[in-house]
Amino acid sequence: MIIDLIVFIPVIAALAIGLGAEGRKTALGAAGANLILGLIVISELMRKGGEELIFETSTVILENPKLTLGFAVDGMSGVLLLLTVIVTFCAVYVSPEKAPDGKVKLYHIAPLLISAGALGAFCSTDLFFLFAFHELALIPTFLMIGLYGHGRDKLAVAWKITIYLGVGSLILLGGLIALYSNLTSAESATFNIADLTAIAETMQLDQEVQKWIFLPLFLGFGILVSLFPFHSWAAPAYASAPTSIAMLHAGVLKKFGLYGILRVAMPMLPKGFEAWEGLILVLLLGNIIYVGFVTISQKYLDRMLGNSSVMHMGYAFLGIACVNHIGWNGAVLMMFAHGISIALLFALCGSLRERLSTLELSEIGGLASKVPFLAVSFGFAAFASIGLPGFANFASEITILFGAFNGAGEVGNLQKAAILALWGVVISAVYMLRAYRNVFQGDSAQGLTLVRRDSLNKIPIILMIVVLLLTGFFPNLILSMLPS
Amino acid sequence: MPTLNEYLLMGGLLFVIGLCGVMIRSNIIVILMSLEMMLSAANLTLVAFWRFGGGEGLPADSYNAQVMVFFVITVAAAEVAVGLAIIVALFRSRQTVDVEELRSMKG
Amino acid sequence: MTTAFIILLLPLVAAASNLLLLRKKANFSAFVSTFSAAICLVLTFGLIRQDDLNNLGSFNWIKIADLKLDIGIELHGLGLGMILVVTLIGFLVHLFSLGYMREDAGKARYFSGLSLFMFSMTGIVFADNLAMMFIFWELVGVSSYLLIGHWYHKNTAAEAAKKAFLVNRIGDFGFMIGILLIWGSFGSVNFVEIEGSLRNGNGNYDKGLLNWSVFCIFCGAIGKSAQVPLHVWLPDAMEGPTPVSALIHAATMVAAGVFMLTKVLFLIEVAPTAASVIQYVGAITALIAALMATQQNDIKKILAYSTLSQLGYMIMAVGFAGLLSGGEVLGEKASNAGFFHLYTHAFFKALLFLGSGAIIYACHHEQNIWKMGGLIGRMKVTSFTFLIATAALAGIYPLSGFYSKDAIMTIAANKPLLLVIGSFVAFLTAFYMTRLCVVVFFGRARSWSSEEAKEVPLLMLVPLLVLTIGAIFAGQTFAYSWFVPSKDIPHPEGVVLPLILTAIAVAGIIAGFFLYRGRDQEPYPVQVLSRKFYLDEIYIILVRIFQDAVAWVAKQIDRLLIDGLLVRGVARLVTEIGSVLRGMQSGNLQGYAFLFGVGVILVLYIINAAIG
Repeated sequence: MIIDLIVFIPVIAALAIGLGAEGRKTALGAAGANLILGLIVISELMRKGGEELIFETSTVILENPKLTLGFAVDGMSGVLLLLTVIVTFCAVYVSPEKAPDGKVKLYHIAPLLISAGALGAFCSTDLFFLFAFHELALIPTFLMIGLYGHGRDKLAVAWKITIYLGVGSLILLGGLIALYSNLTSAESATFNIADLTAIAETMQLDQEVQKWIFLPLFLGFGILVSLFPFHSWAAPAYASAPTSIAMLHAGVLKKFGLYGILRVAMPMLPKGFEAWEGLILVLLLGNIIYVGFVTISQKYLDRMLGNSSVMHMGYAFLGIACVNHIGWNGAVLMMFAHGISIALLFALCGSLRERLSTLELSEIGGLASKVPFLAVSFGFAAFASIGLPGFANFASEITILFGAFNGAGEVGNLQKAAILALWGVVISAVYMLRAYRNVFQGDSAQGLTLVRRDSLNKIPIILMIVVLLLTGFFPNLILSMLPS
Repeated sequence: MPTLNEYLLMGGLLFVIGLCGVMIRSNIIVILMSLEMMLSAANLTLVAFWRFGGGEGLPADSYNAQVMVFFVITVAAAEVAVGLAIIVALFRSRQTVDVEELRSMKG
Repeated sequence: MTTAFIILLLPLVAAASNLLLLRKKANFSAFVSTFSAAICLVLTFGLIRQDDLNNLGSFNWIKIADLKLDIGIELHGLGLGMILVVTLIGFLVHLFSLGYMREDAGKARYFSGLSLFMFSMTGIVFADNLAMMFIFWELVGVSSYLLIGHWYHKNTAAEAAKKAFLVNRIGDFGFMIGILLIWGSFGSVNFVEIEGSLRNGNGNYDKGLLNWSVFCIFCGAIGKSAQVPLHVWLPDAMEGPTPVSALIHAATMVAAGVFMLTKVLFLIEVAPTAASVIQYVGAITALIAALMATQQNDIKKILAYSTLSQLGYMIMAVGFAGLLSGGEVLGEKASNAGFFHLYTHAFFKALLFLGSGAIIYACHHEQNIWKMGGLIGRMKVTSFTFLIATAALAGIYPLSGFYSKDAIMTIAANKPLLLVIGSFVAFLTAFYMTRLCVVVFFGRARSWSSEEAKEVPLLMLVPLLVLTIGAIFAGQTFAYSWFVPSKDIPHPEGVVLPLILTAIAVAGIIAGFFLYRGRDQEPYPVQVLSRKFYLDEIYIILVRIFQDAVAWVAKQIDRLLIDGLLVRGVARLVTEIGSVLRGMQSGNLQGYAFLFGVGVILVLYIINAAIG
């Protein structure tokens, strides 16, 4: 019941705003309520260990095939639920009272709908709704970029992300249908994920069949996570999106693809993964090394952050490719850590955008003495992002790497990929420190003016930093909820 | 008494004439009339089949064909009414009934 | 909560509270940091007197299946020596900073950074496993970054901080690979457990891989202890406040590489190939850095290159741990020699840096030695301590440096080539330090800043005097026997080696004295040495090629190929197909009717064909 509440509170709040309730306050209230409910769910999960589904509810929609609108959480869903409620709260908190054109309704409805869609997708017990909720969350993203995006080419960007993610979803849908039709028969038709997993385990599809179902599933989910070489939508979209949308999409919604791979593709099609392991390792190195270099050469802060988020997804894929619980738990921790840290970075970038006339790195400089709070928190966020101990990002990266080398007496393909991926920590340090040095340190650039100087929202920024530090010092808080 | 074949030939001729009218003429009223002619051709065929019914795989003692003919006539009447109304409206707005000039659907 | 954990966590608490609560009250935050350092020092003495050093406490950080990463504390003999160095010199540097940074605007930030450093450095010393060591390894990197970049508004400081962090990251890249290889082979990262399975022959490791893992772990030391080829960050790091240079970039953090190698001694012992790489890297660093030191003009840069060169000594000595000598690996003997030098070096090098800090403070932040001169008359105490430290560094009997250099040379005698290099470096050391002292302390004042110099306040003199005592006596048995028995440190047999070494040092001093006496500018400029063998320039070119150019190409590929050809290409294709199909939308009613008819006939035909 509590999960249903969490999923539908944002929807109800969105309806209320649509009917004329005050925009930001209502949204903030809903997000705050969700944050509290989310913490209750997490405390229950920690008590029970997160191995099995709890708070299960279901409403039967079709008897045969069995289609139910049902929600439940286990450890992995719980972690992502926590991520979603935290980021939603912060994203709603940092959005201004009114949209740039003075309108209120859509501006505050969209983040709530994205949040509801993400929550529904992460907590759904049913394959159909897992997909459907995610699609629901995408629509407001497109709208918000097109309507309230930054930059001259916002419409082109909105179209690009629409087409990319639309095609990704289509491929994914094809994969899901193939999976469903191969696993179920007329009598045992069901969309329930747990049932399907059980069927897949007993039935053991042929290697060849698994191989060709796995491919569209992986590509479909992968495109949604900006897997190389389908990544070029991400950076412009995040650079162009309004702050709250960039936070929600990069921080939360993008994790859906990884969640799907871990929830659906890997448990149901283990042999399918084996068949494509080499390709997947190459692609994830593309994410880390190639996109890493692309990130280095970015000239604008917002683009650089967008690319950096693409790059870090490579580590999550590496964790998945470990095919052991160490790597998988590391990947889940990575989703959480990266979600919070990238949301934090976009929030700070948004604050900078409000204050500066440009975000071109060579045009700004020496801001540390002018906006000390931003400088310190950006420092925290940058250090988190490049994986410094004390932050959850480091805990997740080290876990993934240890997962890749678990029991490896020799250096195989996975280990080689992990070693190359490790070079990514150098690359990320290069671009992050370069950006930090350009923006905050050194001389203050000539002719740079601070556009606005009103107080900024410190609470969400401090909240996110605290969460990163807490889970970085005590990663077992998260890891104890995951199976091992 | 004419045979079934002659009726069918007649129906076919009428249909082709109507079809040609629809395809070739550019006055929309003529096109509508040609369309009616094609419906009449179908009616004629239906009645002819009924008249020579039974045998050769066709059911005897059935009024299905006549019922259908009545339906067609009713529909045709309605069609003419609606069609003429549309044509009048069209003429009012465009001052023409020539289909060659009515190309606003071009993509 | 054990004593050791309090020593570990207290500085962290101080750093956090300084950052969060006390930003407005700079003096109070300086007091909090210094006070926490003092408590840590006292607790360290308690820890040294403690009999039982097992079960110092442990905290489970990550646990998944077989992977268990702990924050646990293990202190064997050398660890005790190291923690004393860290807390003692740390405390003295805090004291010195109270004077040196008295009027700095970012004082609270500075002291937070110092406390953070104390926390991280203590963590490295305490670490009972490689993962924990790596964690704190990175954290000292951060605190070093923050402190080098303390004056962030200066472009040079910001660049130096960035450079230090990035170069260290490259070293850490190797270190992490080494840790991962060890984890893959032994299924554990705990020092005791790895050593156990190595002794019992458990674990599925092979010799070649083990050599590689030791080499990779050593890469961490190359970065942190600034060995060739990753030494370039340390001289630049002198952009930080001078007390920081004394603590981090002379006495403790840069020595962490050496300390780490002594912790994985059991691995070096069984990896002879990697061990000889370690020896040569150390020797080359010692040589190159000493050569570069002879031609520098910035007082801190001279000391920085001197530090590099001494670190090279230590690394070389530890590398001998893997050398077979008389059917037995040298093992602990070699690493003890290296650590012994670390221990004595920490005192006299910290003293040299703090002394140079005092000089710089007195000379109104002038760092060029050719603008100083005649300071011995104006700053008596500082000059006296500085000269003592110089003598110790040169290895003059009976100061501490004499004993530790003897120990290292005794070990190096196992390879004649390295002994020769080591002796030559000893000569150069005596030479460049004498050059420094002659130019700075004697002769005439060469600028107003050194004319007006006067002795620094008492608060800054106390640390100097305490360190002087250390620099004199740290080499005596009573000063180190509590953490490593005297017999475990190699001593030269007979008096031949010590005599030769002393003669070399004296020769260096005499040469330096007569060459530089009474000079007002560099009499023998050697471009290639003062420009540091052009290594910085070469590195800049390499970075241009391998990073910026590759990045540029990648960006172009992204823009042209992926975005242009693939994405735009698909879009173009769809548009083209659309425009072909568009031709059918003629807008002609009869055309539509015709197509409709054709369609019906086609459908009928297909159905007919399917049925028939």
